[in-house]
Amino acid sequence: MTSLVNHPGGLRAAIWLNYIFLLAMMLVIAGILTAAMTLQYGQGELPCPLCLLQRVAMFGVCFGIIQSLRGGFSYQNTGISLLFAMFLLIVSVRQTLLDIYPRPGHEYIGSEVFGIHMPVWSVIIAACILTAYALKLTVLGGSKHLMETEASEFPLISKLASIVGLYVVAIGIINTVSVLVQCGLNQCHTFNYQLLQ
Amino acid sequence: MMFAVFVAMSFALVLGYMGWRSASLASLFVCFILAVWLFLWEIYSPEYGFRMPWIQTELVPNATTSDIRGA
Repeated sequence: MTSLVNHPGGLRAAIWLNYIFLLAMMLVIAGILTAAMTLQYGQGELPCPLCLLQRVAMFGVCFGIIQSLRGGFSYQNTGISLLFAMFLLIVSVRQTLLDIYPRPGHEYIGSEVFGIHMPVWSVIIAACILTAYALKLTVLGGSKHLMETEASEFPLISKLASIVGLYVVAIGIINTVSVLVQCGLNQCHTFNYQLLQ
Repeated sequence: MMFAVFVAMSFALVLGYMGWRSASLASLFVCFILAVWLFLWEIYSPEYGFRMPWIQTELVPNATTSDIRGA
């Protein structure tokens, strides 16, 4: 198969593009998670159980990316990210359908962002992640050489990946503490923080 | 249960970041199984099961447009 990655001069560019893609994807997801946390702590909008599962799914996507950026790219890590992206899509579609017909006790939770509620945004985000991975695999997936070069070969990418990866780990721990305060060891509700009562 | 899901995910992220791949994958697997189980538990209704009866998906025989609007 003739492609960019099989061209002698294009190999290094393809590997660089692959790691840039992963770094950009992790940056975007970290930004989305940060926005969700800002809405939670800044505006007092407590996440519902399905919203929390959507955060878990996004952390799962980031896990696969962090592994590829720190331990070397592999299609196993891509599979992990895709698995959690599918989980994000399923959870967010189910939540969107749950509240799509407003009735007592069932309406979209939280404020709108650009006129769209968070579960609907999650559907869009999941679709974008899956589409981006599909495009990346279409363009770069034909190379056997992507796994032979680690991200450490590109110092700037490696350094940024370490910082963003550490940030994702940190907000993962913050979310865990937050879930403990919100839900305790019981079922989660959006009324109040159970441990602060 | 939600706390257990997040603890498992945090362990996976921390262990993965530190380079302990096998342990992090095991933790991630636990997280995924718990998350799927919790998702199914959250969406299950004793009344409806997993169905969503508020969404009309069945053909209404001899229905007119005004019937559907009025539903």
